[in-house]
Amino acid sequence: MSKSARNRNARNTNPRGKNARPKNALTETQVPWGTIAFFTVIGLVAFVAIGYAFMQSRSSADESIAGLVTKDDLSRDHVTGTVKYETDPPMGGEHDGAWQNCNGRVYDAPLRNENAVHSLEHGAVWIAYRPGLPADQLEALQTRVTGTDYTFMSPYPSLDAPIALSAWGKQLKLQDAADPRVDEFLRAFVKGPQTPEPGAPCDGAKDTP
Amino acid sequence: MTRGRRPTVVLAALILLAGLTLIAVNMLRSGAPGTNGPEAGFARDMSTHHAQAVRMSFIVRDRTDDRDVRLLAYDIINTQQAQIGMMTAWLDEWGLPKTDPAGPMRWMAGHAGHGGGAGAMPGMATRDQLADLEKASGEDAEVRFLRLMIAHHRGGVDMAEAVLTLSGHDRVQRLARTMVDGQRAEIGQMNAMLRERGAPEA
Repeated sequence: MSKSARNRNARNTNPRGKNARPKNALTETQVPWGTIAFFTVIGLVAFVAIGYAFMQSRSSADESIAGLVTKDDLSRDHVTGTVKYETDPPMGGEHDGAWQNCNGRVYDAPLRNENAVHSLEHGAVWIAYRPGLPADQLEALQTRVTGTDYTFMSPYPSLDAPIALSAWGKQLKLQDAADPRVDEFLRAFVKGPQTPEPGAPCDGAKDTP
Repeated sequence: MTRGRRPTVVLAALILLAGLTLIAVNMLRSGAPGTNGPEAGFARDMSTHHAQAVRMSFIVRDRTDDRDVRLLAYDIINTQQAQIGMMTAWLDEWGLPKTDPAGPMRWMAGHAGHGGGAGAMPGMATRDQLADLEKASGEDAEVRFLRLMIAHHRGGVDMAEAVLTLSGHDRVQRLARTMVDGQRAEIGQMNAMLRERGAPEA
């Protein structure tokens, strides 16, 4: 028991004035409405302020895209030869010194993986599709790519899905070009926070497949 | 009992009021721009626009030995690449995507990008024009570059002026203002360079 509480009890047991009648200190405690209101309001203000700050700082990168595959600790070394990548298509790793131009480019032939991976390092998203994709879907993807800097697309014969979107360390395979996750992936990863080399260009290097 | 409660309630109400005012003021002042607003659209599209100016400037530096043109190109490369960095940092700070899959130029009235790609932006050179510049050399390359860059700067000035009327955001206003002034001055300089080469002004 604290010193002040002891003093209060001592006063209550002292018969004088209006409180002359003896009272049970345990049942007579008043509900401190003022204090409750005071701390409730402070708590509310703090809650709103913290919630607001959280909303402000929330990142735009949506890592919660269903089916997204992530890979860390990818090598960034430059090599001149052929690289055996762990995934098909690759989503990062050793690559050629020249990047594939990725300023909204639609390529109609397969690319060299070693050049395409360098573009991912610069913050580009690579849309690979399996040859035979229906014409309307191909057209929809081409429209997206030509309207979006830091994207490029190419056919990829050995693909095990109709479409694969790749950024550095991020990959999503899709069945249909109309899937809303295409735009989600672009919004999250075009020049996104996964980019190992922000500010690097998407033109001025390899311009043909 | 009531005598002790009243000041507490008044104090609590004051704190609540102060807290709400602080939040409201903060929201109005920092007003992080939205993803569909003119500030974000300008930052994204002007980055793409600038990137092409940087590319063209590098090409002409490879295609001519003329000191004046090479120095102008050097200036454009450094200025516009730095400005791309500033605009990228805004989008980072605002927590907004660097791209809008719905298409470029939606923020600027009358230029909604009809799926036309980056070509929907005013002043952009076509791929063929860039390919021709890469093949040209000497004074031919200089004149081609100057004409392409004058058109490019005019488009850039239009975009910067559009955001000046659409946004009151301090830093956006400041950078857009420097673009309007800087690129207008360079248009005059480039027209003078065309005259020196006996080529018609653009």
